[in-house]
Amino acid sequence: MTTATLNTTYYRLELRRVLRDRVTLFFTAGLPAVLYVVFGASPEYGSEPVGDGNVAMWIMIGMAAYGAVSATTGIGGASAIERMQGWTRQLGLTPLRPSQFVAVKAAVAMTVAAIPIVLVYGIGLLTGAEAPLTVWLASAAVLMFGAMTFALYGLGFGLAFRSEAAVSAASGALVVMSFFGNIFVPLAGWQLTLAKFTPLYGYVALARRALTGGNTLDPDGGDLVPEALLPVLLNVGFWTVVFAAVTIVLVQRGRGRQ
Amino acid sequence: MTSTPSSSIRLRGLHKTFTSPDPQLGEVHAVAGIDLDIHTGEIVALLGPNGAGKTTTLDMVLGFTTPSAGTIEVFGVDPQTAILDGRIAAVLQTGGLLRDLTVDETVELIASTHPAPRPADEVIERAGLTGVRQQRVQSCSGGEQQRLRFALALLGDPDLLVLDEPTTGMDVQARQEFWAAMRAEAEQGRTIVFATHYLQEAEDFAQRTVLMANGWIVADGPTDEVRRQAARRRVSARVAADRIDAVRTELAALDGVHATVERGRLIVEANDSDDIARRLLGQLGGSDLEIEAASLESAFIQLTRTGDVS
Repeated sequence: MTTATLNTTYYRLELRRVLRDRVTLFFTAGLPAVLYVVFGASPEYGSEPVGDGNVAMWIMIGMAAYGAVSATTGIGGASAIERMQGWTRQLGLTPLRPSQFVAVKAAVAMTVAAIPIVLVYGIGLLTGAEAPLTVWLASAAVLMFGAMTFALYGLGFGLAFRSEAAVSAASGALVVMSFFGNIFVPLAGWQLTLAKFTPLYGYVALARRALTGGNTLDPDGGDLVPEALLPVLLNVGFWTVVFAAVTIVLVQRGRGRQ
Repeated sequence: MTSTPSSSIRLRGLHKTFTSPDPQLGEVHAVAGIDLDIHTGEIVALLGPNGAGKTTTLDMVLGFTTPSAGTIEVFGVDPQTAILDGRIAAVLQTGGLLRDLTVDETVELIASTHPAPRPADEVIERAGLTGVRQQRVQSCSGGEQQRLRFALALLGDPDLLVLDEPTTGMDVQARQEFWAAMRAEAEQGRTIVFATHYLQEAEDFAQRTVLMANGWIVADGPTDEVRRQAARRRVSARVAADRIDAVRTELAALDGVHATVERGRLIVEANDSDDIARRLLGQLGGSDLEIEAASLESAFIQLTRTGDVS
């Protein structure tokens, strides 16, 4: 049995498909890199301190987060479209087990999430983002694993609305979710209160936690104010469970229909 | 009940009921209780009009759909186990391909799921795809895509090949080439089951034909015999109004004959249309006679209605 090992041929071909799609690649990796250069690396406030590092670092983590979730949402959405086009049926005729299929897709989503992270972090390193090494590593790890939740989001969205346009809409909605997730600009007041309930807030707050040392940025005073860890973890846990549950329900409904 | 070693497919009391989205229709009996044995090395056509239950039956054999009732054995085990063992393969009707992969990449991908796949070169040649190996699936013609599905089905070296309307969308030449390749596979001792609504395709290729209508098997036997039952003709004639019911009753009493009166004309469906015509024009006093081939659909309905099953 080959259950335990990854089907590396399938993984390699999937990656090739991703790298061939230049337009998607630009929006998932190129765009966050540009956004970081414009809003994080260039302005003077970039060098102001935040926790153990600077503002450029804070913005860099946010832009990499946006790129990573765009990438995984795309992978999830593409899987829904493949299913619609009968590819899942084709695989159902082979000895490939569903668990092996999920393993390949998860590995691909991880790899694809790493592309914008590596690119944006690389540019950040060269353009003045500053923090101790542990902050770089810890934030990157959270971004990569946390992005997996949004593969489920893309898959669920695609399964629910059953069209390629819906998958594009899911990626577009990430821009709004990113704004209200405190990713692009530090929110304050009622906007920040609202942000704490949106799907991307917990993800990026967790990734920045190493930098801010358990605080959150208060843009009114320009200072850090303490933030409890539990609500942040609850946010991540809640949305992961929601996306997973919706996906499972939709997959089962799709089976009944076949 | 255990299968004999020579049995490829064994269906017993197979039912599949769907709940229709239209509440007025309620439950739809796509497959209404069939028993079927297909033996190793047989080439069997599953013939029937759309909605006969062919695709639903094959979907259950392939493990895509679970039966509402009844049992399925494929090589003595359940369909999922047979697929994991690489013993069954199928050519899907449509879709089932990634449009942005090349032909070569698609074959490589599916081959990677099999523990001991047939060599890619051999399979690509067998399916006649040598000239388009580097081409993306999206720029392949319908016939090429169908041959690619066929190539994928051969990769696992299966004992049973299931084909659902395999030549849909192919032109005449592509269709002939496809069946030639299939014959070569059959000669290697594979069991082949295909669904079709073309009587011609069953005649050309299958030794045995299973005729389905409305979820039932209405005829099952050597293709020639089934063809004779299915290839009915429709004879219609004008008969004097005072005699028409008596004539109808007389003809309907004959074996395998169905007779009705529509708008003053007598309509008779039968296998031996010459005999009916002779009787009508002779002692029965008919006139204005017409003979036409009954559609396959009407033959199916007829077979179901009279229970005229071999």
